[in-house]
Amino acid sequence: MTNFNWLLDGSIVGLYLLATMAAGLMVRKYVGKVEHFLVAGREMDVYLGIASLAATEFGIVTCMYTAQNGYEKGFAGATPGILMAIAMAVVGLTGFVIKPLRDSGVMTIPELFEKKFGPRIRWAAGVVIVLGGLLNMGVFLRTGGQFLVLVSGLDVKYLEIMMTALLVGVAIYTILGGMLSVLVTDYMQFIVMSAGLIVVTILILMNVGWENLVNTVQTHYGAGGFNPFINPTMGWQYVLFNLMLNTAAVLTWQTIIARVLAAKDADTGRKVYTRTSFFFVCRFLIPGVWGIAALASLGPVANSLEAMPRYLSTAVPPGLMGLLIAAMLAADMSTDSSYMLTWGSVIYNDIMAPFRKTRWSEKRGLFWNRSIIAFIGVFLLLYGLWYPLKGDLWTYLGVTGTIYLASISVLLIACCYWRRANSWGAGAAILISAVIPITYLVMEQLPSTANLAKTIGPYYSGIATYLLSGAAMVIGSLLKPQSGTNLQEGIA
Amino acid sequence: HWFWWFMTMACVVWYSTITIYVAIKGGADIKHMLARLDATKAREAREEREG
Repeated sequence: MTNFNWLLDGSIVGLYLLATMAAGLMVRKYVGKVEHFLVAGREMDVYLGIASLAATEFGIVTCMYTAQNGYEKGFAGATPGILMAIAMAVVGLTGFVIKPLRDSGVMTIPELFEKKFGPRIRWAAGVVIVLGGLLNMGVFLRTGGQFLVLVSGLDVKYLEIMMTALLVGVAIYTILGGMLSVLVTDYMQFIVMSAGLIVVTILILMNVGWENLVNTVQTHYGAGGFNPFINPTMGWQYVLFNLMLNTAAVLTWQTIIARVLAAKDADTGRKVYTRTSFFFVCRFLIPGVWGIAALASLGPVANSLEAMPRYLSTAVPPGLMGLLIAAMLAADMSTDSSYMLTWGSVIYNDIMAPFRKTRWSEKRGLFWNRSIIAFIGVFLLLYGLWYPLKGDLWTYLGVTGTIYLASISVLLIACCYWRRANSWGAGAAILISAVIPITYLVMEQLPSTANLAKTIGPYYSGIATYLLSGAAMVIGSLLKPQSGTNLQEGIA
Repeated sequence: HWFWWFMTMACVVWYSTITIYVAIKGGADIKHMLARLDATKAREAREEREG
Protein backbone atom coordinates (compact mmCIF):
# COMPACT_ATOMS: atom_id res chain seq x y z
CA MET A 1 0.00 0.00 0.00
CA THR A 2 1.34 3.44 -0.88
CA ASN A 3 0.25 7.00 -0.16
CA PHE A 4 0.49 7.99 -3.84
CA ASN A 5 -2.73 9.78 -4.88
CA TRP A 6 -3.22 9.76 -8.64
CA LEU A 7 -5.24 12.99 -8.80
CA LEU A 8 -3.20 15.15 -6.42
CA ASP A 9 0.29 13.66 -6.76
CA GLY A 10 -0.20 12.73 -10.41
CA SER A 11 -1.03 16.37 -11.23
CA ILE A 12 2.15 17.62 -9.52
CA VAL A 13 4.27 15.10 -11.45
CA GLY A 14 2.49 15.89 -14.75
CA LEU A 15 2.98 19.63 -14.30
CA TYR A 16 6.69 19.15 -13.60
CA LEU A 17 7.16 16.94 -16.70
CA LEU A 18 5.32 19.43 -18.91
CA ALA A 19 7.39 22.40 -17.68
CA THR A 20 10.67 20.50 -18.15
CA MET A 21 9.92 19.40 -21.70
CA ALA A 22 8.82 22.94 -22.65
CA ALA A 23 12.00 24.49 -21.21
CA GLY A 24 14.22 21.84 -22.81
CA LEU A 25 12.72 22.35 -26.25
CA MET A 26 12.59 26.15 -25.99
CA VAL A 27 16.37 26.65 -26.30
CA ARG A 28 16.98 24.38 -29.29
CA LYS A 29 16.93 27.41 -31.64
CA TYR A 30 20.19 28.66 -30.05
CA VAL A 31 22.12 25.58 -31.26
CA GLY A 32 23.94 26.51 -34.45
CA LYS A 33 27.34 24.92 -33.89
CA VAL A 34 28.90 21.82 -32.37
CA GLU A 35 30.44 24.08 -29.68
CA HIS A 36 26.94 25.26 -28.68
CA PHE A 37 25.76 21.66 -28.57
CA LEU A 38 28.64 20.24 -26.51
CA VAL A 39 29.78 23.09 -24.23
CA ALA A 40 26.94 25.67 -24.50
CA GLY A 41 29.25 28.07 -26.37
CA ARG A 42 31.30 28.24 -23.12
CA GLU A 43 28.85 30.79 -21.72
CA MET A 44 27.91 29.10 -18.42
CA ASP A 45 28.12 31.27 -15.30
CA VAL A 46 28.61 30.29 -11.63
CA TYR A 47 25.07 29.74 -10.30
CA LEU A 48 23.84 27.94 -13.38
CA GLY A 49 26.98 25.80 -13.05
CA ILE A 50 26.19 24.96 -9.41
CA ALA A 51 22.62 23.95 -10.34
CA SER A 52 23.82 21.88 -13.29
CA LEU A 53 26.66 20.12 -11.45
CA ALA A 54 24.47 19.27 -8.44
CA ALA A 55 21.52 18.10 -10.56
CA THR A 56 23.74 16.02 -12.84
CA GLU A 57 25.54 14.23 -10.04
CA PHE A 58 22.38 13.34 -8.11
CA GLY A 59 20.14 10.79 -9.81
CA ILE A 60 17.71 8.24 -8.40
CA VAL A 61 20.57 5.75 -8.58
CA THR A 62 22.61 8.09 -6.31
CA CYS A 63 19.74 8.30 -3.85
CA MET A 64 19.41 4.50 -3.86
CA TYR A 65 23.06 3.63 -3.22
CA THR A 66 23.62 6.38 -0.66
CA ALA A 67 20.46 5.31 1.20
CA GLN A 68 21.69 1.70 0.98
CA ASN A 69 24.99 2.88 2.51
CA GLY A 70 23.07 4.53 5.38
CA TYR A 71 20.91 1.43 5.85
CA GLU A 72 23.89 -0.97 5.85
CA LYS A 73 26.61 1.13 7.51
CA GLY A 74 24.82 3.80 9.55
CA PHE A 75 26.12 7.39 9.53
CA ALA A 76 29.60 6.10 8.64
CA GLY A 77 28.15 5.24 5.22
CA ALA A 78 28.24 8.97 4.37
CA THR A 79 32.07 8.98 4.53
CA PRO A 80 32.55 8.95 0.71
CA GLY A 81 30.47 12.14 0.48
CA ILE A 82 32.68 13.95 3.00
CA LEU A 83 35.81 12.80 1.14
CA MET A 84 34.41 13.97 -2.19
CA ALA A 85 33.45 17.36 -0.76
CA ILE A 86 36.99 17.84 0.60
CA ALA A 87 38.53 16.81 -2.75
CA MET A 88 36.24 19.16 -4.69
CA ALA A 89 36.88 22.11 -2.36
CA VAL A 90 40.67 21.64 -2.55
CA VAL A 91 40.63 21.33 -6.35
CA GLY A 92 38.35 24.38 -6.64
CA LEU A 93 40.50 26.50 -4.33
CA THR A 94 43.83 25.53 -5.92
CA GLY A 95 42.71 25.10 -9.54
CA PHE A 96 44.71 21.83 -9.57
CA VAL A 97 44.30 20.26 -13.05
CA ILE A 98 41.00 22.04 -13.82
CA LYS A 99 42.66 25.41 -14.49
CA PRO A 100 45.13 24.16 -17.14
CA LEU A 101 42.38 21.94 -18.55
CA ARG A 102 39.93 24.85 -19.02
CA ASP A 103 42.67 27.22 -20.22
CA SER A 104 43.61 24.74 -22.96
CA GLY A 105 40.21 25.30 -24.63
CA VAL A 106 39.48 21.60 -25.26
CA MET A 107 35.95 20.13 -25.36
CA THR A 108 36.86 16.75 -23.82
CA ILE A 109 39.71 15.37 -21.67
CA PRO A 110 41.19 13.05 -24.37
CA GLU A 111 41.50 16.04 -26.71
CA LEU A 112 44.07 17.45 -24.27
CA PHE A 113 45.96 14.13 -24.24
CA GLU A 114 46.65 14.38 -27.98
CA LYS A 115 48.81 17.47 -27.37
CA LYS A 116 51.07 15.53 -25.00
CA PHE A 117 50.72 11.83 -25.83
CA GLY A 118 49.65 11.76 -29.49
CA PRO A 119 46.47 10.68 -31.34
CA ARG A 120 46.61 6.97 -30.38
CA ILE A 121 46.46 7.72 -26.65
CA ARG A 122 43.66 10.23 -27.30
CA TRP A 123 41.66 7.49 -29.02
CA ALA A 124 42.43 4.85 -26.35
CA ALA A 125 41.51 7.26 -23.55
CA GLY A 126 38.25 8.03 -25.35
CA VAL A 127 37.40 4.32 -25.52
CA VAL A 128 38.21 3.84 -21.80
CA ILE A 129 36.07 6.86 -20.82
CA VAL A 130 33.07 5.77 -22.90
CA LEU A 131 33.24 2.13 -21.76
CA GLY A 132 33.62 3.10 -18.09
CA GLY A 133 30.90 5.73 -18.37
CA LEU A 134 28.36 3.55 -20.16
CA LEU A 135 28.96 0.54 -17.86
CA ASN A 136 28.41 2.91 -14.96
CA MET A 137 25.29 4.44 -16.46
CA GLY A 138 23.95 1.04 -17.48
CA VAL A 139 22.46 0.42 -14.02
CA PHE A 140 20.79 3.85 -13.76
CA LEU A 141 17.56 3.05 -15.57
CA ARG A 142 16.52 -0.13 -13.80
CA THR A 143 17.43 1.27 -10.38
CA GLY A 144 15.46 4.45 -11.11
CA GLY A 145 12.51 2.39 -12.29
CA GLN A 146 12.66 0.23 -9.14
CA PHE A 147 12.43 3.32 -6.94
CA LEU A 148 9.51 4.85 -8.84
CA VAL A 149 7.55 1.57 -8.92
CA LEU A 150 8.04 0.95 -5.19
CA VAL A 151 7.20 4.50 -4.09
CA SER A 152 4.20 5.06 -6.36
CA GLY A 153 2.80 1.54 -5.93
CA LEU A 154 2.73 0.91 -9.70
CA ASP A 155 2.65 -2.71 -10.86
CA VAL A 156 6.24 -3.88 -11.47
CA LYS A 157 5.25 -5.02 -15.00
CA TYR A 158 5.10 -1.32 -15.99
CA LEU A 159 8.73 -0.73 -14.96
CA GLU A 160 10.18 -1.24 -18.46
CA ILE A 161 7.50 0.90 -20.14
CA MET A 162 8.02 3.70 -17.60
CA MET A 163 11.81 3.56 -18.00
CA THR A 164 11.49 3.71 -21.78
CA ALA A 165 9.07 6.67 -21.68
CA LEU A 166 11.34 8.54 -19.26
CA LEU A 167 14.42 7.98 -21.42
CA VAL A 168 12.63 8.95 -24.66
CA GLY A 169 11.46 12.22 -23.08
CA VAL A 170 14.98 13.07 -21.90
CA ALA A 171 16.52 12.02 -25.22
CA ILE A 172 14.20 14.31 -27.22
CA TYR A 173 15.30 17.55 -25.56
CA THR A 174 18.93 16.45 -25.24
CA ILE A 175 19.15 15.53 -28.93
CA LEU A 176 17.59 18.82 -30.02
CA GLY A 177 19.20 21.28 -27.60
CA GLY A 178 22.43 19.60 -26.42
CA MET A 179 24.22 21.26 -23.50
CA LEU A 180 21.98 24.35 -23.71
CA SER A 181 18.87 22.24 -23.05
CA VAL A 182 20.76 20.32 -20.38
CA LEU A 183 21.73 23.52 -18.53
CA VAL A 184 18.26 25.10 -18.67
CA THR A 185 16.46 21.91 -17.58
CA ASP A 186 19.14 21.24 -14.94
CA TYR A 187 18.33 24.63 -13.38
CA MET A 188 14.62 23.76 -13.08
CA GLN A 189 15.36 20.21 -12.03
CA PHE A 190 17.79 21.36 -9.33
CA ILE A 191 15.08 23.50 -7.71
CA VAL A 192 12.41 20.76 -7.84
CA MET A 193 14.88 18.08 -6.70
CA SER A 194 16.21 20.18 -3.82
CA ALA A 195 12.72 21.15 -2.61
CA GLY A 196 11.73 17.47 -2.47
CA LEU A 197 14.94 16.35 -0.74
CA ILE A 198 14.80 19.08 1.91
CA VAL A 199 11.07 18.71 2.71
CA VAL A 200 11.23 14.90 3.00
CA THR A 201 14.35 15.11 5.20
CA ILE A 202 12.67 17.59 7.57
CA LEU A 203 9.58 15.33 7.65
CA ILE A 204 11.74 12.31 8.58
CA LEU A 205 13.67 14.21 11.27
CA MET A 206 10.36 15.38 12.79
CA ASN A 207 8.56 12.01 12.57
CA VAL A 208 11.36 9.57 13.38
CA GLY A 209 13.43 11.89 15.58
CA TRP A 210 17.19 12.26 15.92
CA GLU A 211 17.43 10.13 19.08
CA ASN A 212 15.63 7.27 17.35
CA LEU A 213 17.98 7.46 14.35
CA VAL A 214 21.05 7.40 16.62
CA ASN A 215 19.64 4.53 18.73
CA THR A 216 18.91 2.50 15.58
CA VAL A 217 22.48 2.86 14.31
CA GLN A 218 23.90 2.11 17.78
CA THR A 219 21.72 -1.02 18.14
CA HIS A 220 22.52 -2.47 14.71
CA TYR A 221 26.13 -1.35 14.12
CA GLY A 222 27.52 -0.14 17.45
CA ALA A 223 30.34 2.43 17.35
CA GLY A 224 31.18 1.32 13.79
CA GLY A 225 27.94 2.93 12.61
CA PHE A 226 29.44 6.32 13.44
CA ASN A 227 33.15 5.77 12.74
CA PRO A 228 34.23 4.24 9.40
CA PHE A 229 37.67 3.24 10.72
CA ILE A 230 36.21 0.78 13.25
CA ASN A 231 33.28 -0.42 11.11
CA PRO A 232 34.01 -4.11 10.27
CA THR A 233 32.74 -3.68 6.68
CA MET A 234 34.78 -0.53 6.07
CA GLY A 235 38.12 0.18 7.81
CA TRP A 236 41.05 2.34 6.67
CA GLN A 237 41.17 0.57 3.28
CA TYR A 238 37.57 1.67 2.55
CA VAL A 239 38.40 5.28 3.48
CA LEU A 240 41.63 5.30 1.44
CA PHE A 241 39.98 3.67 -1.61
CA ASN A 242 37.13 6.18 -1.49
CA LEU A 243 39.55 9.09 -1.07
CA MET A 244 41.39 7.97 -4.22
CA LEU A 245 38.16 7.23 -6.11
CA ASN A 246 36.50 10.53 -5.25
CA THR A 247 39.61 12.64 -5.88
CA ALA A 248 39.97 10.99 -9.28
CA ALA A 249 36.25 11.55 -9.97
CA VAL A 250 36.52 15.26 -9.13
CA LEU A 251 39.49 15.58 -11.49
CA THR A 252 38.40 13.43 -14.41
CA TRP A 253 34.77 12.25 -14.37
CA GLN A 254 33.75 13.72 -17.71
CA THR A 255 30.23 14.71 -16.61
CA ILE A 256 31.70 16.77 -13.75
CA ILE A 257 34.51 18.19 -15.89
CA ALA A 258 31.98 19.14 -18.59
CA ARG A 259 30.82 21.96 -16.26
CA VAL A 260 34.37 23.32 -16.09
CA LEU A 261 34.72 23.10 -19.87
CA ALA A 262 31.36 24.86 -20.42
CA ALA A 263 32.24 27.64 -17.94
CA LYS A 264 33.03 31.16 -19.17
CA ASP A 265 36.63 30.85 -17.93
CA ALA A 266 38.82 28.89 -15.51
CA ASP A 267 37.92 31.14 -12.55
CA THR A 268 34.21 30.48 -13.08
CA GLY A 269 34.92 26.74 -13.20
CA ARG A 270 36.86 26.95 -9.93
CA LYS A 271 34.04 28.89 -8.24
CA VAL A 272 31.51 26.27 -9.39
CA TYR A 273 33.67 23.57 -7.77
CA THR A 274 34.26 25.44 -4.51
CA ARG A 275 30.64 26.49 -4.01
CA THR A 276 29.16 23.10 -4.96
CA SER A 277 31.59 21.08 -2.81
CA PHE A 278 29.39 20.86 0.32
CA PHE A 279 26.54 19.52 -1.82
CA PHE A 280 28.50 16.27 -2.02
CA VAL A 281 28.14 15.84 1.76
CA CYS A 282 24.37 16.39 1.39
CA ARG A 283 24.34 13.96 -1.55
CA PHE A 284 25.45 11.11 0.74
CA LEU A 285 24.13 12.15 4.14
CA ILE A 286 20.55 13.17 3.28
CA PRO A 287 19.59 9.86 1.59
CA GLY A 288 21.76 8.12 4.22
CA VAL A 289 19.42 9.51 6.90
CA TRP A 290 16.47 8.21 4.83
CA GLY A 291 18.13 4.76 4.82
CA ILE A 292 18.63 4.86 8.60
CA ALA A 293 14.98 5.90 9.03
CA ALA A 294 13.99 2.88 6.89
CA LEU A 295 16.06 0.65 9.19
CA ALA A 296 14.39 2.21 12.25
CA SER A 297 10.90 1.67 10.81
CA LEU A 298 11.17 -1.60 8.85
CA GLY A 299 14.02 -3.38 10.63
CA PRO A 300 16.23 -5.77 8.62
CA VAL A 301 14.85 -6.56 5.13
CA ALA A 302 16.00 -9.02 2.45
CA ASN A 303 16.88 -6.42 -0.19
CA SER A 304 18.60 -3.41 1.40
CA LEU A 305 18.45 -1.46 -1.89
CA GLU A 306 14.64 -1.46 -1.71
CA ALA A 307 14.35 -0.59 2.01
CA MET A 308 14.33 3.20 1.59
CA PRO A 309 11.69 3.42 -1.21
CA ARG A 310 9.49 0.89 0.64
CA TYR A 311 9.71 3.05 3.76
CA LEU A 312 8.98 6.30 1.88
CA SER A 313 5.93 4.78 0.13
CA THR A 314 4.07 4.80 3.46
CA ALA A 315 5.91 7.53 5.41
CA VAL A 316 5.33 10.40 2.97
CA PRO A 317 1.73 11.74 2.88
CA PRO A 318 -0.24 12.49 -0.33
CA GLY A 319 0.70 15.87 -1.78
CA LEU A 320 4.26 15.57 -0.53
CA MET A 321 4.41 12.24 -2.37
CA GLY A 322 3.87 14.13 -5.64
CA LEU A 323 6.70 16.51 -4.75
CA LEU A 324 8.97 13.56 -3.83
CA ILE A 325 8.31 11.75 -7.14
CA ALA A 326 8.69 14.98 -9.15
CA ALA A 327 11.97 15.59 -7.27
CA MET A 328 13.23 12.11 -8.08
CA LEU A 329 12.16 12.37 -11.72
CA ALA A 330 14.01 15.71 -11.86
CA ALA A 331 17.09 14.10 -10.33
CA ASP A 332 17.01 11.21 -12.79
CA MET A 333 16.24 13.21 -15.92
CA SER A 334 19.03 15.72 -15.24
CA THR A 335 21.50 12.89 -14.72
CA ASP A 336 20.41 10.92 -17.80
CA SER A 337 20.52 13.96 -20.11
CA SER A 338 23.98 15.07 -18.98
CA TYR A 339 25.43 11.58 -19.08
CA MET A 340 24.10 10.83 -22.58
CA LEU A 341 25.44 14.15 -23.87
CA THR A 342 28.82 13.72 -22.19
CA TRP A 343 29.61 10.18 -23.33
CA GLY A 344 28.29 11.15 -26.77
CA SER A 345 30.68 14.11 -26.86
CA VAL A 346 33.67 11.81 -26.24
CA ILE A 347 32.54 9.39 -28.97
CA TYR A 348 32.19 12.27 -31.45
CA ASN A 349 35.19 14.35 -30.42
CA ASP A 350 37.75 11.62 -29.69
CA ILE A 351 36.78 8.12 -30.83
CA MET A 352 35.60 9.40 -34.23
CA ALA A 353 38.55 11.82 -34.57
CA PRO A 354 40.62 9.48 -36.82
CA PHE A 355 37.67 9.24 -39.24
CA ARG A 356 37.43 13.01 -39.73
CA LYS A 357 40.16 13.44 -42.32
CA THR A 358 38.82 16.83 -43.39
CA ARG A 359 37.04 19.51 -41.34
CA TRP A 360 33.34 18.67 -41.04
CA SER A 361 30.63 21.29 -41.48
CA GLU A 362 28.74 22.35 -38.33
CA LYS A 363 25.58 20.80 -39.77
CA ARG A 364 27.25 17.43 -40.27
CA GLY A 365 28.85 17.60 -36.81
CA LEU A 366 25.48 18.31 -35.18
CA PHE A 367 23.85 15.45 -37.13
CA TRP A 368 26.47 12.98 -35.87
CA ASN A 369 26.29 14.22 -32.28
CA ARG A 370 22.51 13.83 -32.27
CA SER A 371 22.70 10.37 -33.85
CA ILE A 372 25.25 9.22 -31.25
CA ILE A 373 22.99 10.34 -28.37
CA ALA A 374 20.07 8.41 -29.90
CA PHE A 375 22.34 5.35 -30.20
CA ILE A 376 23.41 5.68 -26.54
CA GLY A 377 19.73 5.86 -25.55
CA VAL A 378 19.02 2.56 -27.34
CA PHE A 379 22.10 0.94 -25.76
CA LEU A 380 21.01 2.06 -22.28
CA LEU A 381 17.55 0.59 -22.76
CA LEU A 382 18.95 -2.78 -23.83
CA TYR A 383 21.74 -2.93 -21.21
CA GLY A 384 19.57 -1.48 -18.46
CA LEU A 385 16.84 -4.02 -19.09
CA TRP A 386 18.85 -7.22 -19.02
CA TYR A 387 21.86 -6.57 -16.79
CA PRO A 388 21.28 -8.18 -13.34
CA LEU A 389 23.11 -6.29 -10.58
CA LYS A 390 25.07 -8.40 -8.08
CA GLY A 391 26.36 -7.15 -4.73
CA ASP A 392 25.96 -3.61 -3.49
CA LEU A 393 25.50 -0.78 -5.95
CA TRP A 394 28.19 1.61 -4.70
CA THR A 395 30.86 -1.11 -4.99
CA TYR A 396 29.74 -1.99 -8.55
CA LEU A 397 29.95 1.69 -9.50
CA GLY A 398 33.31 1.99 -7.74
CA VAL A 399 34.89 -1.02 -9.45
CA THR A 400 33.63 -0.19 -12.97
CA GLY A 401 34.46 3.48 -12.40
CA THR A 402 38.02 2.62 -11.33
CA ILE A 403 38.80 1.20 -14.81
CA TYR A 404 38.26 4.73 -16.08
CA LEU A 405 39.22 6.91 -13.13
CA ALA A 406 42.60 5.38 -12.26
CA SER A 407 44.10 5.67 -15.73
CA ILE A 408 42.56 8.98 -16.78
CA SER A 409 43.45 10.73 -13.51
CA VAL A 410 47.07 9.55 -13.77
CA LEU A 411 47.23 10.64 -17.43
CA LEU A 412 45.67 14.03 -16.72
CA ILE A 413 47.92 14.89 -13.78
CA ALA A 414 51.02 13.76 -15.71
CA CYS A 415 49.83 15.63 -18.81
CA CYS A 416 49.42 18.88 -16.87
CA TYR A 417 52.41 18.74 -14.54
CA TRP A 418 55.08 16.18 -15.57
CA ARG A 419 57.40 17.27 -18.35
CA ARG A 420 58.81 13.78 -18.90
CA ALA A 421 55.44 11.98 -19.27
CA ASN A 422 55.02 10.35 -22.69
CA SER A 423 52.93 7.89 -24.69
CA TRP A 424 54.67 4.76 -23.31
CA GLY A 425 53.79 5.74 -19.75
CA ALA A 426 50.25 6.70 -20.77
CA GLY A 427 49.70 3.38 -22.57
CA ALA A 428 51.05 1.39 -19.60
CA ALA A 429 48.79 3.30 -17.16
CA ILE A 430 45.70 2.63 -19.30
CA LEU A 431 46.57 -1.08 -19.55
CA ILE A 432 47.18 -1.56 -15.80
CA SER A 433 44.00 0.34 -14.87
CA ALA A 434 41.90 -1.95 -17.04
CA VAL A 435 43.62 -5.25 -16.18
CA ILE A 436 43.38 -5.12 -12.36
CA PRO A 437 39.64 -4.27 -11.95
CA ILE A 438 38.62 -6.64 -14.79
CA THR A 439 40.73 -9.45 -13.28
CA TYR A 440 39.06 -8.80 -9.93
CA LEU A 441 35.56 -8.90 -11.48
CA VAL A 442 36.40 -12.18 -13.29
CA MET A 443 37.88 -13.70 -10.10
CA GLU A 444 34.64 -12.83 -8.28
CA GLN A 445 32.63 -14.80 -10.86
CA LEU A 446 34.82 -17.95 -11.10
CA PRO A 447 34.09 -20.54 -8.36
CA SER A 448 37.79 -21.51 -8.10
CA THR A 449 38.94 -17.93 -7.37
CA ALA A 450 35.83 -16.44 -5.72
CA ASN A 451 37.23 -17.02 -2.21
CA LEU A 452 40.54 -15.36 -3.07
CA ALA A 453 38.66 -12.37 -4.54
CA LYS A 454 36.62 -12.15 -1.34
CA THR A 455 39.82 -12.20 0.75
CA ILE A 456 41.38 -9.40 -1.31
CA GLY A 457 38.15 -7.38 -1.41
CA PRO A 458 37.23 -4.51 -3.74
CA TYR A 459 39.02 -1.86 -1.64
CA TYR A 460 42.54 -3.36 -1.72
CA SER A 461 42.03 -4.17 -5.41
CA GLY A 462 40.99 -0.56 -6.04
CA ILE A 463 43.89 0.95 -4.07
CA ALA A 464 46.34 -1.30 -5.98
CA THR A 465 44.87 -0.11 -9.29
CA TYR A 466 45.48 3.58 -8.51
CA LEU A 467 49.00 3.02 -7.15
CA LEU A 468 50.13 0.65 -9.93
CA SER A 469 48.62 2.88 -12.61
CA GLY A 470 50.76 5.76 -11.30
CA ALA A 471 53.82 3.50 -11.17
CA ALA A 472 53.17 2.33 -14.76
CA MET A 473 53.07 5.95 -15.94
CA VAL A 474 56.44 6.69 -14.28
CA ILE A 475 58.20 3.48 -15.39
CA GLY A 476 56.78 3.55 -18.93
CA SER A 477 57.73 7.19 -19.42
CA LEU A 478 61.27 6.69 -18.10
CA LEU A 479 61.82 3.62 -20.31
CA LYS A 480 60.97 5.45 -23.54
CA PRO A 481 64.07 6.87 -25.22
CA GLN A 482 64.02 10.66 -25.04
CA SER A 483 63.44 12.67 -28.19
CA GLY A 484 62.43 16.23 -28.94
CA THR A 485 58.73 15.45 -29.16
CA ASN A 486 58.33 13.70 -25.83
CA LEU A 487 60.02 16.46 -23.91
CA GLN A 488 57.21 18.95 -24.35
CA GLU A 489 56.53 21.06 -21.30
CA GLY A 490 53.66 20.06 -19.03
CA ILE A 491 50.47 21.76 -20.20
CA ALA A 492 50.25 23.85 -17.01
CA HIS B 1 26.78 12.05 18.30
CA TRP B 2 27.44 15.73 17.78
CA PHE B 3 29.54 15.36 14.65
CA TRP B 4 26.78 13.65 12.69
CA TRP B 5 24.08 15.86 14.23
CA PHE B 6 26.04 18.94 13.17
CA MET B 7 26.63 17.56 9.65
CA THR B 8 22.95 16.67 9.19
CA MET B 9 21.77 20.10 10.36
CA ALA B 10 24.45 21.79 8.22
CA CYS B 11 23.16 19.85 5.20
CA VAL B 12 19.55 20.97 5.75
CA VAL B 13 20.48 24.63 6.38
CA TRP B 14 23.18 24.95 3.69
CA TYR B 15 21.12 23.08 1.09
CA SER B 16 18.02 25.23 1.74
CA THR B 17 20.09 28.42 1.48
CA ILE B 18 21.94 27.46 -1.72
CA THR B 19 18.68 26.34 -3.35
CA ILE B 20 17.04 29.73 -2.77
CA TYR B 21 20.21 31.54 -3.89
CA VAL B 22 20.60 29.45 -7.05
CA ALA B 23 16.87 29.81 -7.85
CA ILE B 24 17.30 33.60 -7.88
CA LYS B 25 20.75 33.90 -9.47
CA GLY B 26 20.55 30.92 -11.84
CA GLY B 27 17.58 32.38 -13.72
CA ALA B 28 19.58 35.54 -14.42
CA ASP B 29 22.52 33.39 -15.56
CA ILE B 30 20.29 31.69 -18.15
CA LYS B 31 19.02 35.05 -19.46
CA HIS B 32 22.57 36.38 -19.81
CA MET B 33 23.81 33.18 -21.45
CA LEU B 34 21.07 33.21 -24.09
CA ALA B 35 21.54 36.96 -24.68
CA ARG B 36 25.28 36.47 -25.24
CA LEU B 37 24.63 33.59 -27.64
CA ASP B 38 22.16 35.81 -29.54
CA ALA B 39 24.69 38.65 -29.70
CA THR B 40 27.43 36.31 -30.96
CA LYS B 41 25.08 34.88 -33.59
CA ALA B 42 24.14 38.39 -34.80
CA ARG B 43 27.80 39.47 -34.91
CA GLU B 44 28.84 36.40 -36.90
CA ALA B 45 25.97 36.91 -39.36
CA ARG B 46 27.01 40.55 -39.82
CA GLU B 47 30.67 39.60 -40.34
CA GLU B 48 29.64 36.98 -42.89
CA ARG B 49 27.59 39.56 -44.83
CA GLU B 50 30.40 42.12 -44.76
CA GLY B 51 33.22 39.61 -45.23
